[in-house]
Order: sequence, then C-alpha cells, then structure tokens
Amino acid sequence: MAAQPKAIPAEYPSYLKGDPISWLNTIDHKRVAVLYGVSALLFMILGGIEALLIRIQLFEPDNNFLSAHVYNQVFTMHGTTMIFLVVMPLLLGFAANFLVPLQIGARDVAFPRLNALSFWIFLSGAVFLHLGWFWHHGGLPDAGWFGYANLTERQYTPGMAIDFWDIGLLILGVSTVMTGLNFFTTIVTMRAPGMTYMRMPMFVWSILITSILILLAFPPLTVGLIFLFMDRFFGTHYYQAVAGATPILWQHLFWLFGHPEVYIMALPAFGMISEMLPTFSRKPLFGYPMMAYSIILIAFLSYGVWGHHMFATGMGPVADATFAITSMLIAIPTGIKIFSWIATVWGGSLRMTTAFYFALGFIVEFTIGGLSGIMHAAVPIDLQQTDSYFVVAHFHYVLFGGVMFAILGSLYYWWPKVTGRMLSEKLGKLQFWLTVIGFNGTFFPMHFLGTWGMPRRIYTYGAGMGWTFWNQFETVSAFVLGFAFLLMFINMLMSLRNGEIAPADPWDARTLEWSIPSPPPAFNFVTVPAVSGRDAFWAQKYGGTAAGRAAEPRNGEAEAIHIPEPSFFPIVLAAGLLLCGLGMVVDWWRISIAGGVILFLSTVGMAFQYPTFGQQTHETEAASGGGGEDLRKVGLWAFIGSESVFFATLIATFMVYKGRNLSGPGAEILEIPLTSFSTFILLMSSLLMVLALAATQRGDKTWQRVWLAGTVLFGLIFLGDQAYEFTSLYHHGLGFTTDLFSQTFFTLVGFHGFHVFIGVVWLSVLLVVSFMDRLPKSRALSVELAGLYWHFVDIVWVVIFTLVYLMQKVKGA
Amino acid sequence: MRARIARRKLSGLAPLLLALPAVIAGCQKANPPMDTLAPKSDFANWIYGLFVEVTWLDLFVLAVVVVAFVLAVFVFSRRAGEGEAASETHSDMRLELAWTLGPAFILLLIAVPTIRTIFREEPPTPPADSLKVTVIAHQWWWEFRYPGTSIVTANELHIPEHRPIWVSLRSADVIHSFWVPALGGKRDVIPGQVNHMWFIANTPGEYYGQCAEFCGDSHANMRFRVFVDTPAQFAAWEKAQEAPPVQPAAGTAAAKGAAVFANSPCTACHTITGVSKGYIGPNLTHLASRTTIAGGIMKNDPKDLKAWIENPVGLKPGSNMPALGLRGPELDDLVAYLESLK
Amino acid sequence: MTAEAAVHEHFEQHVHPGASVYVTVAAVLVVLTALEITVFYVQALAPVMIPLLLILSAAKFVLVAGFYMHLHYDSYVLTSIFGFALAIAALLLISLVLLFSYLSHHLWFAVPLARIILPGH
Repeated sequence: MAAQPKAIPAEYPSYLKGDPISWLNTIDHKRVAVLYGVSALLFMILGGIEALLIRIQLFEPDNNFLSAHVYNQVFTMHGTTMIFLVVMPLLLGFAANFLVPLQIGARDVAFPRLNALSFWIFLSGAVFLHLGWFWHHGGLPDAGWFGYANLTERQYTPGMAIDFWDIGLLILGVSTVMTGLNFFTTIVTMRAPGMTYMRMPMFVWSILITSILILLAFPPLTVGLIFLFMDRFFGTHYYQAVAGATPILWQHLFWLFGHPEVYIMALPAFGMISEMLPTFSRKPLFGYPMMAYSIILIAFLSYGVWGHHMFATGMGPVADATFAITSMLIAIPTGIKIFSWIATVWGGSLRMTTAFYFALGFIVEFTIGGLSGIMHAAVPIDLQQTDSYFVVAHFHYVLFGGVMFAILGSLYYWWPKVTGRMLSEKLGKLQFWLTVIGFNGTFFPMHFLGTWGMPRRIYTYGAGMGWTFWNQFETVSAFVLGFAFLLMFINMLMSLRNGEIAPADPWDARTLEWSIPSPPPAFNFVTVPAVSGRDAFWAQKYGGTAAGRAAEPRNGEAEAIHIPEPSFFPIVLAAGLLLCGLGMVVDWWRISIAGGVILFLSTVGMAFQYPTFGQQTHETEAASGGGGEDLRKVGLWAFIGSESVFFATLIATFMVYKGRNLSGPGAEILEIPLTSFSTFILLMSSLLMVLALAATQRGDKTWQRVWLAGTVLFGLIFLGDQAYEFTSLYHHGLGFTTDLFSQTFFTLVGFHGFHVFIGVVWLSVLLVVSFMDRLPKSRALSVELAGLYWHFVDIVWVVIFTLVYLMQKVKGA
Repeated sequence: MRARIARRKLSGLAPLLLALPAVIAGCQKANPPMDTLAPKSDFANWIYGLFVEVTWLDLFVLAVVVVAFVLAVFVFSRRAGEGEAASETHSDMRLELAWTLGPAFILLLIAVPTIRTIFREEPPTPPADSLKVTVIAHQWWWEFRYPGTSIVTANELHIPEHRPIWVSLRSADVIHSFWVPALGGKRDVIPGQVNHMWFIANTPGEYYGQCAEFCGDSHANMRFRVFVDTPAQFAAWEKAQEAPPVQPAAGTAAAKGAAVFANSPCTACHTITGVSKGYIGPNLTHLASRTTIAGGIMKNDPKDLKAWIENPVGLKPGSNMPALGLRGPELDDLVAYLESLK
Repeated sequence: MTAEAAVHEHFEQHVHPGASVYVTVAAVLVVLTALEITVFYVQALAPVMIPLLLILSAAKFVLVAGFYMHLHYDSYVLTSIFGFALAIAALLLISLVLLFSYLSHHLWFAVPLARIILPGH
C-alpha cells in the first residue's frame, strides 16, 4: 500500500516565523531568498528612479535638469543597478533559491551556509557600489555599466568612482559564483529519488544551465576587473596603448562575460515562463526534450557570440563574419522555445490570471526584442545601429519585455507560496495593462530614434535633430510605467497586511512546491517525495501515467529531519570584505587590514562550524545523485572548472600580449634550470598528497601525517623557489610594471603562487587536525577534497611551465 | 467575452499599432539630419538594402508569431471552467522540425548578403584612387588631416563626391566612434590602433556626424559636419585651406584681435599657421570657413564664438579649454580676428 | 553501525588504486618532464618544439587528472564537469589568440576567403 504524504500538523510554524535577529544568521534557503527578494525590490525602486531621471533630462533638447556629470553617473548606475542588483538577485537569489530545492524535493541547497554568505556578500557589494557618494573626490561610477577602458584608467577618470565600481563588481562576482556553485551542486546531487534530469521542472533545468554559465563566464570578468585594478593602483598598463597594450582587451574580457551574462538573466526567465504557461493552460509543456536541449544549446552558443558587441571596433572581416554567424545561430534554439510556448497554450483550458497575462505578454515582447537582435547580428546593419537608441530598444525589449515581464508574472505566481497570501488580481491586471502601455510607449519609439541617428549615452541633444517629439513621448510613457510599478508595491503591501490567505495550491499547478503549505515550514517536506515522471505533483493529484507517490521513509525508520545550525559568520565575513575593499579605495590601510583580519577569522570560523567540509551529515548522505559522488566533491570539481577558465584567461592575456611587448626584457629572461626544479618539486608534492589520501583511506595515522607534512614541505619549497626567482628577475631589471611581459608574467605566475599558498594553508590546517587525532578513515573525504585542489594547482603549473617557460622563444602573435 | 478578447489582442499588437503614426509622422517631415534611412553613399546604400530585407523578414516572422499567438490564446483554446483542455498534445516531431528549419532558412537568407557586405566594406587595402583622410579623435572634438597636403582642420570634413574616401581613424586619448549615418556605418576610434573605413559619397550636401562611443563628460557634445562637394567645390576648398591665413587689414578690429591672440595663452593650444603652434586644441587657421564651432554644438557666428570663448567649460562640461578672462573690447576684437580667418 | 561508518561503507565501494600505481605515475611524470626540458634545449627539435611540448604536457595533465585526481575511477559526471570547463577554457584561449593575430586582417586565409566571397575583387 502506498504511503500517503503525511499531513503536516498545524503546529509546524512557517519558515517566516522567528525573531528579527534570526534573519541575520539564517541559513534557510527560503529566508535567504526573501532577504534577496526584499533587497532587490528596494534596488528596483532606486533603479527605476534613476531611469525616470534620465527620461526627465532627455525630455527636451539642451535640457539642464541634470548636469553632464550627474547624468553620466545616473545612466551608469541605472544599468549597473538593474542588472546586478535587481534582475540577477530576483532571478537567482530570490526565485531560484526559494524554488529549486522545493521543486526537486530537497530540504535545502547543497551548501546552506555558503548560500547565506552569498547573500551577505551581495549586499556588501551592492552597498559598496554606492559608497562613492559619500566621498568628496568620489561620486558614483560614471563610465557606463560596461566601463570601457581606457576611459576608466586613472588618467581619464581620476577620483574614486571607478575604484568603487571595480571592487564593487568584484565583490558581487564572488557572491554570484558562490551561488552558481551552490545551485549546480544542488541540482546535480540532491534531486528526489526518481527525478531524472528529463523529469525535472523546466525552471530547474534553466537554473542548472545558468549555474554552469555563471561558473564559466564570471572568470573573464574577474580577470578584466583585476587588470583594471592593477592599472589604477599599481601602474600596470593592461589597457593603455602606451606600453603596447590595447583597450580592446577589456572589451573582449568584458563581453566574454557579458554575453553569457545576458543569458544568465534570460534562461531563468525562460524557465519561469515554462512553469507558468502549462499551469494556466492546464496542459503539459510542449516539446519538453527540445526545450531542455535548446537551453543547453543556447548556453553553449552564448560563449561564441561575444564579438557581436564589438562589430564597430575593427576586428577584421573574418572575425566579424564568424560572430555574425554564431549570433544568428543562437536565434534557432530561441525560436524553438517561442514556438513551443505558443504550442503549450494552444488548445489549453486557459485561466486568465495576472501571472498568465505577464507570461503571455513576454512571448510577444521578447520576440520583438529577439528580432531586433537578428538585425544587430547582420554586421553592416549593426554598424548603423550599435551605440544608438536602436540597441537600447533591443536590450530593453529582451531584458524588460522579456526578463522583467517573466519576473513580474513570477511574483504574482509564487507570491502565495512565499508569503501565504494572495495578491489582488484586480490591481494586478491594472498593473499589467499600464505596464504594457508604459513599456511599449517608452521603448518602441527608441527603434525610431536609433534609426534616425540618436546615439546612446548622451546627456542632451540639439533641437532640430528630429528627436524631440519621441523623447517626450517616451518620458511620459516612462512615468506611466513607473506608476504601474507603484501599483505593484501597493498591491504587495496590501497583501501582506490583510491579503486573502493562500492555500497550498492556489493555481492547481504541476510541480512539487505546490504540494506543501503556503508558506512552507522550515524543513520543506515531511517526507521527501519519490518521483516517477514529469510534473510530479500533477501526477500525485490526478494519477495518470506517471503517478508519483510519496516515498517510504528511508531505511524504514522515521526520518529525522535535521535543520542545519544557523550562523553569524556569513554576515561578519561580508562586513570584513566590505571594509577590506573600502580601505583600498579611500587609502585607509588600517581599515583594509582590519577588514582582512575579520575576513580571515570568519572564513576559518565558518569552515570549522559543523558540518565542516568533509564531515558527513544526513544531507550529504542523501545527496549523491551526481553519479553516486558526494556533493562536496561535485561542488569542488565545479569550482575547479571555474578556476580553469580563470587561469585560461590569464594565460591567454599573457600569450596575446607577448607579441606586443614594445621594449624591455621578454620571456627569454626566464631561467629553465631553476624552474625545472620547481616543476619536479610540485609534481612530487602531488605524489605525496595522494599517498596521504591512501594512508587516510586505510586508517594509517602515522603515514597520513608524514605524507601530509611532506606535501606541505614541498609546497613551501616551491613557494620559496618562486620567491627566489622573482627576486632574481627583479635584480635583472624586470620589475612588476617594467613592460607588458613582466606584468602579465608576474600576474599569472603570482596568482598561481597565491593558489599554492592557499593550498599550503589548507593542508597545514589538515595536518593540525590530523595531529589532534580528528582525521580518521571516515573523514577521508576531507583529505580527498584538499588533494583535488592541490592537484589542480599542480596541473595549472604543468600548463604554465610549458606555455610560459619552455615556449619562451616562440614569438608572440 | 468578445470585448475582453479584443482588449487582449491590443496588448500583443500595441507595438505594431504604435508604429503606424511613426511611419506617417516620418513620411511627413523632413528627414532628421542623422537619418540612417537616407543613404548618400554606396556603403550607406548597401546597409540600407540589407536593412530593408531584414526588416521584411523580421516583420514576416513577427506576423507568424503574433498570428499563432492570437490563435492560441483566443481561438484554439478554452477558458477555464468551460471544460477541460482541448488537447493534451505535448510533442509533434514535424512541427518541431518545421520551426527549427524554417527560421534556419530565413537566417541563411540574411547571412549570405551580410557576409558579402562585410567583406566589401572591409577591404585589406584602400581602393584605387582613394582620397585619404586621417581622423584624429580627441576628447571632445575631431581633427581632420589630409595626408599629402598641408591641410589640418577640425570638426568639419570636406570630401568630393564619386570618389572613394579612405578614412584612417586614430585616437589621441580614449575610445570614440566616427559616425555619419548618411554616409555609412560607424567605426570605433581606438587608441593604439588605426582603424579604417571607406565609402563613395554620391550626393553633394551637408551631413551630420557625431561621436558614438561614450568618451567622458562631453560625449554628447562631440559632433561634426561632413560636406560632400562637387569636384570643383572640393578643389576650391582645398586651395583655400592650403593657403596661408588671411591677414587682417591694418587698423581693423581684426588686426587688434590678431595682437590679442598672439599675446594670449591661446597660442599654447591652437595653431594658426605662421602665428602659433599648439596641438592640444583645434587648428584655427581657417576657422571662419567652418559652419560650426566647439565640436559642432554651436553655430559659427560672432555671438556664439564669443559665448564659447567666455565660458567653454560651462558650454562643454569637462572641456580642456579654460576661460581666459578676456572681456569687453579685447574679446570682441579677438572674435573679429577669428571670424576673419576664412 | 554509526551513521558515519555506514556512509563510509557506501563510499568504500570506489576503487582505490594502490601506492604502486601512484608511484609509477610519478615516475612517468618525471620522465615526461625530463623529455620536455630536453625538447627545449635540443636545437634540432626546434621546428617541432611546439607540438611536442603540447603533447608532452597534455600527457602529464591527463595523468595527474586521471590518477591523482581519481577521475579514471570516479563517476563520469566529474569528468564531464571538468571536461566541459576545459573545453570552454580552451575555446576562450584559442579565440583570443586568433582575434589578436594582428587584427585578423592578416590571417592567412582572409584574402583567399575574400576572393571566394567577392569574385572579381
């Protein structure tokens, strides 16, 4: 007899209940999601105000509502805020965080403390971006959301504004990569029994692929920002023509990130649409397999199109043609999705709710945006359209008409689950119509303005250019749009105050999050459901070919539900990070050091709080979907994958700049004998490391300590060699900023050395734990994880030794 | 029910309906000066042709999507409560194949002329008999030089019709972008490399250009004019530009102005042939031959020129040109002198 | 059996190569590195230095990843994760190098390609 899902007793409190302080140390994914959501909505108001300020200034020619400098800050912050502080946190921090564990039948994400840390670091970065406001020579960043070099060099933008932007984005990047790693590991390893990949909700698919995009696309941005930081603080010349470098490098690095970034925003939106349309059409999603494959194809192709942001930069006809083709190719899987969504609605039994309206509106608006994108892919046309209001229209249609409409629909759709209340449908529909009118009125005429030659990012324009009427039309429409958002906030506040109480499943939906109360209890499911088909909850309700039944409790015993311990370390660590960055920008080095100390101590504290990395828990035992591999191993490999792209970017820069070295020593100055010795040392350290693991796995404490100590020792010898080499090079006239070769060499080898140093620290900690007799056979995974990191650092050196040292005589490109 | 259907239709079609007045409005008034749909060169024409083709294909696809959408939402569906779903179909291989191959074919129709045009407008070497022009972009003005001649001017480019113009683009500081919509697409101007573009203008006239890559505070104020001349007009212009500067008649305000100029800090930044050598600001030798000043943002007449000299930073935020504190008759004389430099 | 031990039983099922395998791999790595350095110093090999070095270091890479990082014995999931990331990393590196090859105008196939696309030029 199939066990029925246990009715959750009324006395289990919802996850929302708890004292205010508990929100500061929470690690419950649902609470972290709410923290993200509230923050993002507040930043949405800020970003919206920034947009209205732009529109007021552009209302008439030669307007002086905002000065040029203020306008430039406003448009920069509008873009930066909307992308990094509104859309990404709403999609990932809020929606994915809340829903993914519920939709896969899990109790939380793979790394709950890391999840909380992601949020606090996000908040830290968001605040950091705005700190320049408070300093006399600061000001908000004003070089555009993609800050092209060499305008962003200190020579052309002195002051602290760009420093706040640079470090702020680095901080935000750390948060996002942690989130990507968390979701990737969660989805790969923690799906409910029976939930194969092809049975996952499409939203989960979209988050899985988005996580991969995040892991592999943020490293180039990180590298680019680090180079900018070095130029501005250390006097290197990564983007300045004076030393043979080129500002174009920034564009490549930025857009290598930037294009996947727009898919990081679009794919979760696609996933949301794929959830809402079937529910409100009472039909399964059309073409599920192709929808999944098309997400994968879009993500893969998104790495090959970044040059389409650079068609006017003179990359040459071959590069232009290649990027044109790849950019057109990406339209095919996107088109598949549009048609599949329409086919989902076709023949359905439609329930016309506000959420459904937004999802339907998405289809048309995103199509328009996609079609103007096709125009941009046709390079010669793009040479007229790029950097004009035409492209502003294009990306607002895909990001607002597309992504934001999906977000707005999702807010109406999942609000009951998150808050336990319903939003007013009447107010919602009014908001929808005003949004449609306001949005199209603001952004459709931008196609005309761009076609009539209005460049973007101009704080004013002349009379007689033929642009005035439509600018005025757009400004009025923007206020209509703003009013629509005001209605939404009113709706939300009214709902929270005394909105209709929501049932568990207000929409008669198809996925597992609707099978638990609204709002859910802290532990999500009483018993983890078993799944045997798609739309698991629908099958539970109505039977059919894929009947999902609640699982028998595992091992026949009552399942002990384990709530992980909350932690204050995330918020403290994030504060430390902010102080560290702040001190660097405003030249208060004491603040930086204090921040650094806090950062270090809270990292150690977090690492040692139960469960530490390598300790087994209920969750890790249950979570081995990834081919039977422990979720921490999966997570570490995902991290290694991300770091591979990081090092590949540094190596690529080294190789690309090798041929552009104008003067000064080149790679021939590098000594092979010394470095060969280092290479042998590092290779042997890998042997020692793996012997340490073998010793641990057979419970041999003595040899465990010997081999671990040996690895640490060899690591230190390697670092010592590096220090000797660097000093020797310096004495031969090769300083950090001497020439292009020196800066790329020291940066690349320096970062590798830093990774070795972190490894040495990690292994030393393990050695100490071993001597405390706390590293038995059952904790072998701890050693294995450290080993994986160590070997990775070793193989990066294998690549560097070959490409940098042994190929020193090879001329650069 | 019908009213609701009609209202829902409007939401999907709103953007298209909005287009109509625009088209009408566009047809009625004179072309905006930076209109990309009024091509006046071969390059601009190739782009225009491609644009028209892609626009039609885009509209076709949009129509298919909107029609399918309208049918799905209003015709081939039921409203909740009116019975269960009409169909549970969730896959159809032929349909999925069709909407994969169909768009692929349309993209092929776009890709082929696109690639042809790319190679056409980026030849490895200048076309035969090109007139070579060097553009040097500064924050926030445009310098134009004609290699092989002594001509150096600013913010106003003259070129002959029916002759290939090979433009070499260099930057003195940050990234800018050279854009004259009537004459073709834009090309970024990047420090440390020389970008090129070429075109053949086919209609004499005055065309507007503007910097199209955000380059700092006064990016919006970095405009310029291009004059496409008949061969005779161009020859005359060249001759005038190569001539030495006009000497003001003795005793005139202009002559007094010349003295003001020679004794002022102006000479540190501006070149007037035979008078001063300064390379930070535009060459002023034939300032009066231009129709605009200050990077195309003001008319070239005494009133505007005076206002500019009095307060450059106020008119062009971030400008490197300081207010020199000249006033009264001194300033008027200087303006008279500058306006005499035809 | 404690929960910890039970979990450990589960993971014990993985194959653990013995120390001899590890030491053999280490010996091979030493030999490969010695070969790389030889290729560097021997002038006669200069024409084939680049492919030789790439092959040798790729071999080292695979050995460390496969044996020390256990990929050979672990689930294909982990190899896929690493493999895909490496593919993207390689793509990025190769693309950037190509793009900076003298601004792509001067790539050897640009002119013949132009002649095919635009006959008569």
